[in-house]
Amino acid sequence: MGDQAEGLTNNSSETNIESSGNQDELIMAQQRQIEKEISETIPLVGELEAITTLSSEYSTDEVYLSKIKDLVSKYSHIRRTRPDGNCFFRAFSYATLERLLGDKEEFIKFYKLAENSKSILVELGFQQFTVEDFYDTYMEVLKRLADIDNVEAAKKELHTIFNEQGYSDYMVVYLRLLTSAQLQKEQDFYSCFIEGNRTVADFCHQEVEPMYKDSDHIHIMAACSALNTGVRVSYMDRGTGTTVTQHDLPEGCIPTVHLLYRPTHYDILYV
Amino acid sequence: MSTPARRRLMRDFKRLQEDPPTGVSGAPTDNNIMIWNAVIFGPHDTPFEDGTFKLTIEFTEEYPNKPPTVRFVSHMFHPNVYADGGICLDILQNRWSPTYDVSAILTSIQSLLSDPNPNSPANSMAAQLYKENRREYEKRVKACVEQSFID
Repeated sequence: MGDQAEGLTNNSSETNIESSGNQDELIMAQQRQIEKEISETIPLVGELEAITTLSSEYSTDEVYLSKIKDLVSKYSHIRRTRPDGNCFFRAFSYATLERLLGDKEEFIKFYKLAENSKSILVELGFQQFTVEDFYDTYMEVLKRLADIDNVEAAKKELHTIFNEQGYSDYMVVYLRLLTSAQLQKEQDFYSCFIEGNRTVADFCHQEVEPMYKDSDHIHIMAACSALNTGVRVSYMDRGTGTTVTQHDLPEGCIPTVHLLYRPTHYDILYV
Repeated sequence: MSTPARRRLMRDFKRLQEDPPTGVSGAPTDNNIMIWNAVIFGPHDTPFEDGTFKLTIEFTEEYPNKPPTVRFVSHMFHPNVYADGGICLDILQNRWSPTYDVSAILTSIQSLLSDPNPNSPANSMAAQLYKENRREYEKRVKACVEQSFID
């Protein structure tokens, strides 16, 4: 309990720290200040930008510049997302829906998959009352998008929705819940990827369901299966080589969503 | 204006009324759904028994993606409650999940009263007495219980 406060209070446990105030709240206040600065400068989901704009971030870094060159040969545009720990879920959700808007038949299939998802969550033991809140919003968004015939207008609406904090975060929460459900449904398989003595359910409660928790490979694998969507991730870091490393998830899929990973952050890529 | 946070709080309130957990209650203040008053009754077979402890819960528009700020208004003597009434509880900080609602928050605080965690103290005096001098701890808690009738 109060993990964050523990380190601060251990040394002073002999003295009366009642007077030193509420350490938890001080830490949280500082964290909120940092988050506020990020949220004021970077939108939840940005506009489409030419892929070449990446170079300006690394003007003197040879390793990155050569990898960007490789990326430019593969992709034309990038759409940045806010680095708030939800970037994978937000980027993946946005890119999936954006693609579906251009494919009516696939969209209807996805809509049906989403429609049936609530009962799967409830069967797995998620509290119906709270799941319903996120589910209703998720379906409301899908419906709003389905009702727009013009593809460009629908994409514009998608962009607006994903930049409204309330809606955008609910889309993230629901995908987190679906991902958690997928992990728990196939826990025999996923348990091999979890470090330490945690059960898959524990891992989900601590690392998947809470907002702002970063995503790893395991989150992506489960999210892909949950939405029945293939993704190609291009990894760009300071590691050796002059090209970006690409992974398709699930392995051997035909990727319909493309993401750029730079240490601790995901953005959306466009071919 | 209806925002996801406000809409969710209406649902939380409805559920709390229709399916109230034992020993806790809560409701939004008259003119602001973002600020709630709540009461937790001291759990049986603990030194907090018979106490009626008042709390405030303050939500932001980021609820339920972020936890609300919960504070005891009644004076408390408990290892995990700060002098200003703030509560040191993992689910209100780094273990918060959007699937928790007001019912879950209040019942978690209620069980914190029964099972303090003296290893992560917000009130070191209470933590020390809880570990080393249970009789004195219970005496101090009982004083809070009596104070809670007057508050």
